[in-house]
Amino acid sequence: MKEQEYQQMIKRCLRCSICKWIPQLQIKSQKYATICPSIDLFNYHVYSGGGRIILALALEMGRIKPSEEIRDIIYKCTECGGCAVSCKFLNTLEPLEIIIKLREKLVSSGFGPMPKQQQYIEAVKNEHNPYNEPHGKRLDWLPKDIKLDPSAKTLYFVGCTSSYRRKEIAIATTRLLNAANYPFRIFDGKEFCCGSPVLRTGDKESFLTQLNKNIDIIEQEGIETVVFSCAGCYNTFKVEYPLERDFKFKILHTTELFNELIENSRLQLNNQVPYTVTYHDPCHLGRNSEQYDEWDGDVLDLMPLISINMPEKPKRNGSNGIYEAPREALKKIPGLKLVEMERIKEFSYCCGAGGGVKSAFPEFATKTAKIRIEEAEDTGSDIISSACPFCSTNLKDGINEKGSSLRFYDISELLLMALDSPQKSVKKSSTEVT
Amino acid sequence: MVLKKEILKEFEAVVGEEHIDDGDVITNVYAYNWCMEIFNYMDGKEPIPFSPTPKAVVLPSSTEEVQKLVKLCNKHNISFKVQSTGLGPWNQPSSENCIIFDMRRMNKIIKIDEQNLYAVIEPYVSGAQLQAETMKHALTIHMPGAGPQVSPLASATSMNGPGFTSPSTGHSARNVLGVEWVLPDGEIIKLGSYGVKNNPDWYIGDGPGPSLRGVMRGWAGTKSGLGVFTKVAVKLFPYPCKTDYNVKGTSPNYDFDIPDFMKLYVMDCGTFKKLETTMLRVEEEEISFMCSFLSSFAVMAIFSNSIESLMNKLAIGRMKAPLVVIIAARTKREFDYKQKVMDFLLEELGLKNIIGKLYTPNPIFYAEALRSNLGLHGFIATGGFQSSKGVADTANVCLRSTKSNISLKQEYIKKGAIANDFGEGTWMTSYESGHYFHMESPTMFDQTNKKSVEGMAEYMEKSNQLDLLKHLGAPFFVEGNRMHELFGPHMSNYHIWLRKIKETFDPNNISDSGFYISSS
Repeated sequence: MKEQEYQQMIKRCLRCSICKWIPQLQIKSQKYATICPSIDLFNYHVYSGGGRIILALALEMGRIKPSEEIRDIIYKCTECGGCAVSCKFLNTLEPLEIIIKLREKLVSSGFGPMPKQQQYIEAVKNEHNPYNEPHGKRLDWLPKDIKLDPSAKTLYFVGCTSSYRRKEIAIATTRLLNAANYPFRIFDGKEFCCGSPVLRTGDKESFLTQLNKNIDIIEQEGIETVVFSCAGCYNTFKVEYPLERDFKFKILHTTELFNELIENSRLQLNNQVPYTVTYHDPCHLGRNSEQYDEWDGDVLDLMPLISINMPEKPKRNGSNGIYEAPREALKKIPGLKLVEMERIKEFSYCCGAGGGVKSAFPEFATKTAKIRIEEAEDTGSDIISSACPFCSTNLKDGINEKGSSLRFYDISELLLMALDSPQKSVKKSSTEVT
Repeated sequence: MVLKKEILKEFEAVVGEEHIDDGDVITNVYAYNWCMEIFNYMDGKEPIPFSPTPKAVVLPSSTEEVQKLVKLCNKHNISFKVQSTGLGPWNQPSSENCIIFDMRRMNKIIKIDEQNLYAVIEPYVSGAQLQAETMKHALTIHMPGAGPQVSPLASATSMNGPGFTSPSTGHSARNVLGVEWVLPDGEIIKLGSYGVKNNPDWYIGDGPGPSLRGVMRGWAGTKSGLGVFTKVAVKLFPYPCKTDYNVKGTSPNYDFDIPDFMKLYVMDCGTFKKLETTMLRVEEEEISFMCSFLSSFAVMAIFSNSIESLMNKLAIGRMKAPLVVIIAARTKREFDYKQKVMDFLLEELGLKNIIGKLYTPNPIFYAEALRSNLGLHGFIATGGFQSSKGVADTANVCLRSTKSNISLKQEYIKKGAIANDFGEGTWMTSYESGHYFHMESPTMFDQTNKKSVEGMAEYMEKSNQLDLLKHLGAPFFVEGNRMHELFGPHMSNYHIWLRKIKETFDPNNISDSGFYISSS
């Protein structure tokens, strides 16, 4: 968002509270009517999308000064973008982008990011991952029997979380690719953090370093397609990178690829997976995965105070997120029954981990996950599934904290269970992949 | 203007430390509201969107806590301002010696009585939430034009309340049943059948003894000027059609399965005289779910979700006196009857329905009508709008008010202060089968443009004064001492009586009277 647009937009909040709810026409119950984890937990209006817009205005007008209190408020947001979807049903404000800009401004003025986030930014700089794990051990998860093709034009970008924390997702993904005889590479020693965790804190400079490192190496290696099992990495490459630098390689999420491979019969799903499953849309794969369309039109002043954009300026409404591919893939699993939660697709409720919240405010993250787990429980499901290792971590934490009988499996794990070869099935625990 | 430490501690003891904040960040954010710049300008202040900054914001969770907070306010001579979902300047404190009660934590639907057709709610239940739950019982509620995101309790007890479905669901003032009310001195009073000693229940709003409903809200509501409403029963109505409700696709391009037995009519009545006749006839037949006169610009707006899509509907914009009617029914027989009556009226009055011929709206329009979301379309042209007028009278008086306003509006359109809706921007709906009507004049302005804000404020003042000059009754925004003292002498000195109510119930002037009347 350009500064001029920011300065205009922060004066336009209607204080209508629509940003606190899922789109009004989608409200089906009192219990699941809200969209914003931050206001749900912290209650004061400033914790809503609109409240943060007002805070931005109060800062610009000099009514308040940057402070640690303001920093905490701005960072107690998962940047899930639900507020923006609800607001933009009829309005043109961009609460999420204003929050992102506020974080950048706090970093510039020395108040941001949160101390815990600064620690992982340093880890990204030193070890190329936010967990501060040794870079040399990034591929430790890789089973010996996985076939890699060094000449393949497709790269599987594993991401930091699947490499170090949610290895089962990386393992299931590579097994599925092998089962489909889909040639792919993994960079050994040359895969670096995509920069998403850094970007979300407002540290754009450090983000650009990661971006350039990754694009450089992918282009040098002649990669044509990059596949991601991590919604965060996928989003960063697809939505954020093009804003800073052009590249030619294609971006795909594994749910899109797997769905295609099943349709082409390259992946044969014959095993029964007799579970009722509900699907959680990751914010980065869903509403926030829309690219920013370039707009090069004119503003036409029709009459005093009324102008229109010619052609109409594209709005990122969350309409074009990846919603169907994961659902279609799940529906193709024999015996699996897919049931929906109330809050789905562009108005899905966040898992609670995004925007640096998991590291800076872990209690907030887990409380949010518990709300989402309860919603999943209310569907009568046995399993909650998703397509993001970060959602996986947080939702599992939610399950544990809540003492829920639900189990979490990434879509890749469920697909692996459905493969007809018994060697590729997932045992009791999702980490026990053989 | 933070609270003294010892006073803050007393408040903390009631709600807990995490539920009161007197820091400058939180309080400044609560000082902002939509259209505050206009009301500031009207009061001779700088036209900024911030009111006086409250001393603190407190989040009570129960009636008992509210009572204790009110008593503390009295003890320390600090006024309080109460807000639920918080839309509009009426939620703002009028002085810095004020604490805001944000009722967010009181958000329970206490009861839905499907037999006796009422629901009991707390302040932070939104219209959409309550409707979603009542739909499960094939029932619906009245929602004000402000939209489904606002609080039905706030509208029912404290703030105006015409809505798009008013022909079938009435007016917020008419929908109040039992009430739990914390008076400005901290006493708790229970109105209606909820106040009886034996078997208290919520099914009626009057008594025991003389009814206090009129005192509680009068016509327009006291906007937190007379205590805190902690629970209220509101009437429920049969859902107008089948409750199968399926919104498909993704925002904002939703699709909707239009329920069986629902039909939209948009007719150009040509003249205000014929419009009046038509509205009265339609309402006399008691067949409409919705029946609104909207200016042609407003008709374009309710069918659009952006300014660009609005401008594609100029064919509709040529209508001179458009009337929008929706009929809806639960059975084919009921629907056939209503349709037959409409066909008969159209023939009798020589009108044509443009729907399906000149224009076919997206199906999602019907969902917006059912969920009372149409008022929010007022913002799509300039991002800012506010209404002047606010007549509640016969159809004839409402249309006289509309006519009288056109030249004034055009004057400010020419000045470039407000957006061009041809001067006709009006919304008029009937209540209760046409026994009376509501008219207001929504006007679009740009809240980021000082000239526009100042022009809008001047226009609103003059528009209100026109009501005096032309004997059209009191508009919406006769609020606060200045306006009541201006209008009161022309209207049976009602302001003297209003002040007596305030003095009786709030002798210390603790319940913020910025949008009501002060006790002296």
